[in-house]
Amino acid sequence: MRFILRRLCLLPLVVLGVTFLLFFLTQRLSPEMRASLYVKDPRQMGALEEVIREYGLRDNVFKQYGRWLKNVAHGDLGYSPSANMPVAQALKKYLPATIQLAFVTMILVVFFGVWFGAASAVHKDKWQDNLARFISVGGFSLPIFVLGLILLMVFYGQLHWFAPGGYSIQTDIIIHGGEFKTYTGFLLIDSLLNGQWRVFGDVFSHLILPALTLCIGSFALMVRVMRSSMLEELGKDYVRTARAKGLPEYQVIYKHAGKNAIIPVITLAGIQFVRLLGGTVIVETIFDYPGIGRFGVLAAQQLDIAGILGFSLLVAVLFVFGNLLCDLLYTAVDPRIRLE
Amino acid sequence: MQVPVLQVESLRVNFRTDLGVVPAVRGLSYTVPKGKVVAVVGESGSGKTVQALSILNLLPPAARVESGKILYQGKNLLALKPKALRQIRGRKIAMIFQDPGASLNPVLTIGEQLCETLCAHQKISKQTARLRAVELLTQVGIQEAEKRLDEYPFQFSGGMCQRVMIAMALALHPELLIADEPTTALDVTVQAQILKLIKDLQRKNGMSVIFITHNLAVAAQVADEVLVLYAGQCMEQAPAADLFKNPLHPYTQGLLSSLASVRQKVEKLPAIAGNPPRPGEVLPGCPFAPRCPQALKKCFESCPPLYENGSRRTRCFLQEGK
Repeated sequence: MRFILRRLCLLPLVVLGVTFLLFFLTQRLSPEMRASLYVKDPRQMGALEEVIREYGLRDNVFKQYGRWLKNVAHGDLGYSPSANMPVAQALKKYLPATIQLAFVTMILVVFFGVWFGAASAVHKDKWQDNLARFISVGGFSLPIFVLGLILLMVFYGQLHWFAPGGYSIQTDIIIHGGEFKTYTGFLLIDSLLNGQWRVFGDVFSHLILPALTLCIGSFALMVRVMRSSMLEELGKDYVRTARAKGLPEYQVIYKHAGKNAIIPVITLAGIQFVRLLGGTVIVETIFDYPGIGRFGVLAAQQLDIAGILGFSLLVAVLFVFGNLLCDLLYTAVDPRIRLE
Repeated sequence: MQVPVLQVESLRVNFRTDLGVVPAVRGLSYTVPKGKVVAVVGESGSGKTVQALSILNLLPPAARVESGKILYQGKNLLALKPKALRQIRGRKIAMIFQDPGASLNPVLTIGEQLCETLCAHQKISKQTARLRAVELLTQVGIQEAEKRLDEYPFQFSGGMCQRVMIAMALALHPELLIADEPTTALDVTVQAQILKLIKDLQRKNGMSVIFITHNLAVAAQVADEVLVLYAGQCMEQAPAADLFKNPLHPYTQGLLSSLASVRQKVEKLPAIAGNPPRPGEVLPGCPFAPRCPQALKKCFESCPPLYENGSRRTRCFLQEGK
């Protein structure tokens, strides 16, 4: 309990640090440049000065930052010209898609990573081990944008199995048709709650390629960590005890060694999950996936300062909460941490 | 003639290392009589633990049994299929280890680890297993057993962990207990308690014990029969009383004279000069010859056989024809 509070104390520090740094950087741009995005018509250049005056863009950086913080406290993150809606609304719209993507990716990574890693350790230097090593080294050395483009070329360009984007036009019509109720914002869950199996299938099929692309890089690391952790545990005395007790081999491996070997994997999975939440930028861009990564990229490209600040604020918050979640998971598995 | 529970016949175990094949056990034979405690004594590297691990096929991956037999109820344990061997492990032959803290799984409760032993060999419900576990912990002298079942090994002291290991080993009333230096990692006072516990339970259950130790004093407390190992070979085997009163092999004599005694006051404890052969080093003669104060010329040329004399066996040319 005490350490949850300690972790939460970290939250304002991280958030203030990240946003102030960004705020400070954006001050390198002149007030005219920062205001220009809000003036659509080139003939009304006079309006530029008006915007600068209205929002106090010539004020001292601390004063401007203080004003931004005050607005954030009231739930107002500003207006994002790149997304054509208020920043808060944009984040609310795009975040669930990213969480969905990160979640499906992590399920794939953890499941296959643990499985391959354990098999690799149990059958050390046999073909299972070599296969797992081959796949993980291959996945590790293949850049995400190359892999993503190859997958897109093969499965969309050639085979027409999976399309880019978040969902198809048919699904779009159903979702915005009025009948479809939004419960959580997560389309995978909402489609089930609405009994729309086809929407679920459609959204899921759009997740597969980006998830697979993200999966391969993280998977490689997961296999390595699980393999070495499992090898270490299998050599320990308690494994010998478990065998001496006459337990079946699968219990010795999965219940005894596995439960200990999984501990470092949880840390890694936590870090990777948090990284995916804020950093699926490349993959979301390649697959035109409507998540916050793509929102962040568009905002940055168009100098949409409110959008960039909102995006980084969200990522910072997610980062702290993700790490907290990871620590909590840790204590659930390891009694030595839980009880001490 | 006593009925043997276990017979080890010319057991050879080698380690495969980067430096080549290193023999750890070189043609070891002995029997464990029913209801008796056989102590296997030797220095580190003498092969005492390796020979014990090969009984239940728990050797590390680098070690391999080259030849020999280990007979239990007429079956050669070394040739058993994994499934058949699993039926014997824990149920007929149980084992406890040197470092009790590391021998228990850190992330499973004591109760879980005790109950799974019971459930692996018997068809019983979880509740029955738990009741039995409470009984077992109480039997090895752990108070508030019911409560302690839900605790984890790190909440137990070393001595307590060894009691748990003993409870686990005795859960299914095995015929034979292999105790591999069970008291080495413990304080002296705790050591005495654990020894007493093992001895008491052994008498009560009529169980046989192979007790492995490097400590002659400990062997003297528990053993009926003592086997002295040196460089993977049996140097001397004798009933405990005879061996301690009248050791025949110069190595055993050296070991005994280097023991500290409360009764005699000495300036400096005598020690056996020199070092045991390095791993992998096989001498043509007796492995102890270079350190032996009574060595003859032939001791360096050929290895003496085990000379039998009544209930004693000694690997020394000095015993030839006696």
